[in-house]
Amino acid sequence: MTASMTAGLAQEVAAAVDQLRQITVQVRTHRAATGAGILWNGGEPEGPGLVITNAHVVEGERATVELSDGTAARARLVARDLRRDLAALEFEPGRAVVGAVVRDSPPLRVGELVIALGHPGGLTGAATLGIIHRAESDREGRTPRWIRADVRLAPGFSGGPLADATGRLVGVNTMMQGGLALAIPAVAVEAWVRRSQTMAVS
Amino acid sequence: MSTVLQSLSTELADAVESAGRAVVAIHARRRIPASGVHWQPGVVVATNHTINRDENITLTLPDGTTAPASLAGRDPSTDLAVLKLAGQSLPVASLRRDAPPKIGELVIALGRPGPGLTASWGVVSRADGPWRTWQGAEIDSLLRLDLAIYDGFSGGPLIDAAGRVLGINTSALARGVPVTIPIATVERIVTELLERGNIRRAYLGIGTQPVRVPESLARKLELKSDLALLIVSLESGGPADRDGLLLGDVLLELDGTAVNDASDVLAKLGGDRVGKPLAARLIRGGQVKALQLTPGERPTSRAA
Repeated sequence: MTASMTAGLAQEVAAAVDQLRQITVQVRTHRAATGAGILWNGGEPEGPGLVITNAHVVEGERATVELSDGTAARARLVARDLRRDLAALEFEPGRAVVGAVVRDSPPLRVGELVIALGHPGGLTGAATLGIIHRAESDREGRTPRWIRADVRLAPGFSGGPLADATGRLVGVNTMMQGGLALAIPAVAVEAWVRRSQTMAVS
Repeated sequence: MSTVLQSLSTELADAVESAGRAVVAIHARRRIPASGVHWQPGVVVATNHTINRDENITLTLPDGTTAPASLAGRDPSTDLAVLKLAGQSLPVASLRRDAPPKIGELVIALGRPGPGLTASWGVVSRADGPWRTWQGAEIDSLLRLDLAIYDGFSGGPLIDAAGRVLGINTSALARGVPVTIPIATVERIVTELLERGNIRRAYLGIGTQPVRVPESLARKLELKSDLALLIVSLESGGPADRDGLLLGDVLLELDGTAVNDASDVLAKLGGDRVGKPLAARLIRGGQVKALQLTPGERPTSRAA
């Protein structure tokens, strides 16, 4: 790789991280930062804002979400699934917000680059780069329970995005296990959000 | 838009995919399988410490099928083992022989702890000259890695960003620090294991401890160095015992080279030294004495 390519690569990583910051929020409950969250608007910039995070990040029914530009809003819990470790929060953004774009296909390949964003130890918008550790699915056509990535996460990354090299969301960072990052597949989250909204309406 | 980042991502995944076609899972211990590399047609290289049995070894191939393998030989001192695999048309690893890995080079460790391929990435953190393992084997170059070790790391290949193999990974040669056994060493050991089933190494049957010879004695005996090796154990009936070495002798030189620690002795005990006398100089009873020591062949140990 030539020097200019390496320089280009560094710039592109920085640009990709900047873009991902737009969809990453900080979640606070009882005034303490508890983790990260992902703006999830399903392509509708108007209307109430939806944030997806881990259930273990939101203890009660209320939380504060802080957007990348520093504006904070009160949010209320609209869905929680302890088994999947997912929670959905609703808030009034007061402006148009850009939501995450989910990668539905193609399936993830081992060795592919991934970027994780979070707010570890009071840092806001920290980023880390890694690769996919293991192929997604053991059985064909089934969404796996976890995406496993060789990327170093710290507490505070929980609920934040794991994205591919094009900036599309592939997972919700949830925990570390044996040195590996485990993320809930974005397509599974998408299905869960759809089901949760149907339940809320009916 | 972000073309370099995307093409790097694709190239890494391509490298993993192509190199992964020659990586197998080895079932030769309880619980988690280890990895192996299809090195040459019908020959799989693995790590010795992950093979806990000599019989009933099976492999999981990249296509998910299972195949039996037989143990051709193992060498605890380099932590390598060689398996034979019959009747399979598996691609062999593409080896990077021409350019040694550099410090800071982006590398990927592959494993197959089951049907699925796994990868972790990092950089080469040290690339140095020859070194000797604690069991005395010479490894052609030192390759230490800055990357995370996961299940299946040992026996898997270290590959470059183009998918070419740089060596075999093990966590058992440097107290859990990930190291890679370079291609040159692997090829040497594979050739000898296929020919003989074990690695021939010379030995003397001595245990030594570095000591400092008192200055007055060193001056009196006109020694070049005051560091020497005290013989603290002697295998009864072993080569050095037969040749008349005694407990308490202080070894100064072997084959014309001063010996300051045990690795200096090991350096004189390659497989080609079996049966060839080595001139020894030592201190016994306050006097310098010369002795011929003829190394024997080290009995093959089945060390775990």
